[in-house]
Amino acid sequence: MRYLGQKLAFYAVACWAALTLNFLIPRLMPGNPVDLMLSKLATRGPVTPTTRAAIEAMLGTESNVSLWRQYLTYLQQLGSGELGTSIAYFPTPVSTVIGQTLPWTVGLIGLAAVMSFVIGVLLGRAAGWRRGSWVDNLIPFTTMLQSVPYFWLALLLLFLLGSTWPVFPLSGGYDVYSVSPGFSLAFFQSVLYHGALPALTIVLSSIGGWMLGMRNMMVSTLSEDYILTAEAKGLTPRRIRSRYAARNAVLPSISGFAISLGFVVAGSIVTEAVFSYPGIGSALLLAVGNNDYALMQGVFLIITLAVLGANLLVDLLYGVIDPRTRARS
Amino acid sequence: MLFTVQNKPGVRRLLGVTAVAAATSLLFAACSGNTAGGGGTKADAKASITVGGGTITKNFNPFSTTALQPTLGALYEPLYWYNFAKKQDPTPVLASGFSWNDAGTELTIKTRPGVKWNDGQPFTAKDVAFTFNLIAKTPALNPSGLAATAKATADDTAVLTFKSKSLMQEPAVLANQAIVPEHIWKDVKDPVTDPNENPVGTGPFKLGAFSTQSYTLLKNDSYWEAGKPAIKEVRYIPLEAADAASAALVAGKVDWISAYLPGIDQIINSKKDLAYVNTPVMTTVLVTCSNPARGCTGPQTDPAVRKAIYYGMNREQLIKLAGGGVASDASPTLLLPGRDDSWITDPNLQKIPPAADAAMANKLLDEAGWTKGADGIRAKGNQRLSLTVQTVTGWSDYISINDTLKQQLAAIGIELKPSQVSWNEWNAAQTNGKFQLSLDSVGLGASTNPYFTYNGRLATENTADVGKSASAGNFARFSDPKVDAALKTAAGTSDEATQKTQYAEIQKVFADQMPYIPVYVNSMLTEFNTSRAAGWPTKDNLYAVPASWKAWDLGVVLKTITPVG
Repeated sequence: MRYLGQKLAFYAVACWAALTLNFLIPRLMPGNPVDLMLSKLATRGPVTPTTRAAIEAMLGTESNVSLWRQYLTYLQQLGSGELGTSIAYFPTPVSTVIGQTLPWTVGLIGLAAVMSFVIGVLLGRAAGWRRGSWVDNLIPFTTMLQSVPYFWLALLLLFLLGSTWPVFPLSGGYDVYSVSPGFSLAFFQSVLYHGALPALTIVLSSIGGWMLGMRNMMVSTLSEDYILTAEAKGLTPRRIRSRYAARNAVLPSISGFAISLGFVVAGSIVTEAVFSYPGIGSALLLAVGNNDYALMQGVFLIITLAVLGANLLVDLLYGVIDPRTRARS
Repeated sequence: MLFTVQNKPGVRRLLGVTAVAAATSLLFAACSGNTAGGGGTKADAKASITVGGGTITKNFNPFSTTALQPTLGALYEPLYWYNFAKKQDPTPVLASGFSWNDAGTELTIKTRPGVKWNDGQPFTAKDVAFTFNLIAKTPALNPSGLAATAKATADDTAVLTFKSKSLMQEPAVLANQAIVPEHIWKDVKDPVTDPNENPVGTGPFKLGAFSTQSYTLLKNDSYWEAGKPAIKEVRYIPLEAADAASAALVAGKVDWISAYLPGIDQIINSKKDLAYVNTPVMTTVLVTCSNPARGCTGPQTDPAVRKAIYYGMNREQLIKLAGGGVASDASPTLLLPGRDDSWITDPNLQKIPPAADAAMANKLLDEAGWTKGADGIRAKGNQRLSLTVQTVTGWSDYISINDTLKQQLAAIGIELKPSQVSWNEWNAAQTNGKFQLSLDSVGLGASTNPYFTYNGRLATENTADVGKSASAGNFARFSDPKVDAALKTAAGTSDEATQKTQYAEIQKVFADQMPYIPVYVNSMLTEFNTSRAAGWPTKDNLYAVPASWKAWDLGVVLKTITPVG
């Protein structure tokens, strides 16, 4: 219980620090949203001195409020779940923008991360179990794919599979021409089809790490004395592989996986930019381009909470998965 | 040795995983056939076209600066429409006539009879009066600073009363304000932030289905102009990046888009049905922080240096290397050659000669006391003639301008240091005057009257000291009493001859001071797919500015084009 309390207190402090940074960093960027909107207007039509006042009134940004007051208002609004109004998507509230985009990201990147983890760990287990086999020889290939810069791999695949041989669509979350969003089979098929290529690139570029890690842990676990004991007891090889070797070997990968789940939201920016996917990464990119503090804060908040939450989950789950940590605490 | 016998189940399982993966990809592949094919045929049958636009967020509020593209033009209409693509008299839209009183304080507008809102209610002068009163009493809706009270004196007559002589407000009132229905907007609680989800306008189209990834406009059957529009459905999709735009264009997924695509001729020639039109209307200029009295520092505060840069540019080379061959010659008056010729009095100022005049540039610098040093760069006292020019990372054409200029100006002893910064930083530096030279373009004014080009860029009231934001547009910090007086006189009259003599005065000062150094008139490319619709604007028939983002003009284009087949 004391262990749990300590953990929770630590996470509360970490959360506060993250929220404060979250408030400060966007404000240290050059420029401000009012000037930005004015300049964009100026390319389309006339702008006069009164325009500035009108836009300030419209956005509700008073440039002369002290940073401290802004900080207090920010904390207050967070407390009540109010995230403010987006400027890039004016006048949509930030919470609506996040609500519209987050499911796409969690769906695509989350599923891709799970797929990559499961396939990587299974392949790694096979490679460690049977060293020198063809599965083992896959490892240099997958690590090479991982070392290729992700955006380059994604662009290459998009060019080859989207443009040269149009197997997959070029962009978007679903086929806007023929289906409308809703609980219909056609819509889900369209979503799956549009998500396939981005998911493929994510799996290809991240599978190597899981595979290599699992294989090496498997190899060192197999040389443990208890494996020899198990063999001596006459247990079936299958039981030894899954219950004795793989269960112990997978522990470091599980904690790594939980942390990587936390980065699902943050890691989506490049994927979504390349595939024009309508997720939260695209929203963040747009927010940065428009000095949209409110939206940036909202997205960072989601990222912060996701990372902290995932870490907390690992801390708590580890005690369950690994009996040794439980015994010590 | 232990493991040799035990391996088989493992391999079998692995095969199982691969089989599932293969089955899944087959399923994806199966979906592909259905959706792609279905889309194309369906679209053709409905006389439907697709337009590429920006990010979609539900906002059809005609007062909002972030409303979706078709709000102004396709859904809502102004009283008059001005064509920026060529010199042309204003076209009446919701009005049938207007007149000023002699003092220039009262504008009487006659409205068009027989117009209906798309909910069936009739449009009257009361709606016009309501719209302008709403703006006057809500500062946040009033970016152009209109201060008029309006009254409908009859069903077809509205009178706008201004506090002072306001002839120059004419374009803002007549051509840049969407008229909204009183019966809807009188109940809108907050007209500033209301997203206006069910737009009721007089335009040729009305809103169809909406999602954040695509929305459609449907033909307004009760549109006032007989026989228009011919297109039944217009779909908007978000397409912002140039590579996505060119891919969608080649794949036939989009019919109308405005984007600068490098290698445009190659893209257009790759498919039979593609076409493009180039409408250069925005002049690319080197903005200089020109006024030491307002806090500018650096060699560019010397007019001789600015003029030397002007003469030292080889624009022929710039158009070829940076402008992709599709940019065109600028005028030293910042006006548009061709369209604005009648506003340029001095024939020497019509067009900039394309070749550099190094002799003239050297002479100017010699006379101003800048002497060549050992390294070939000029200096005056201990100040080297070295200038930093900023542009935005990723604006590849502007980056090439800077790189080309660097070499061209080195020949006359000026060192140019190009720098690339983020959009935010570039914009902040320019509005706050923290720059020496900055590449930018002169945007569109409220009308083609040169007043709107000169007032924003040159008037003292539109600038601020360095360190303060000059967001109204005079980034050069330029200030000249002669120019201010000429602008004031021009604003007080509607007589074009008087205005022309005032503008000639401004053009003379401008050519002498050169606070903005014109480079070339930048291309504005708009690409079309002609397989689903015909009648798009062409080079010889610019009945509207063809850009898909241009407010008002987009409505004119959409109601003019006709379906093919």
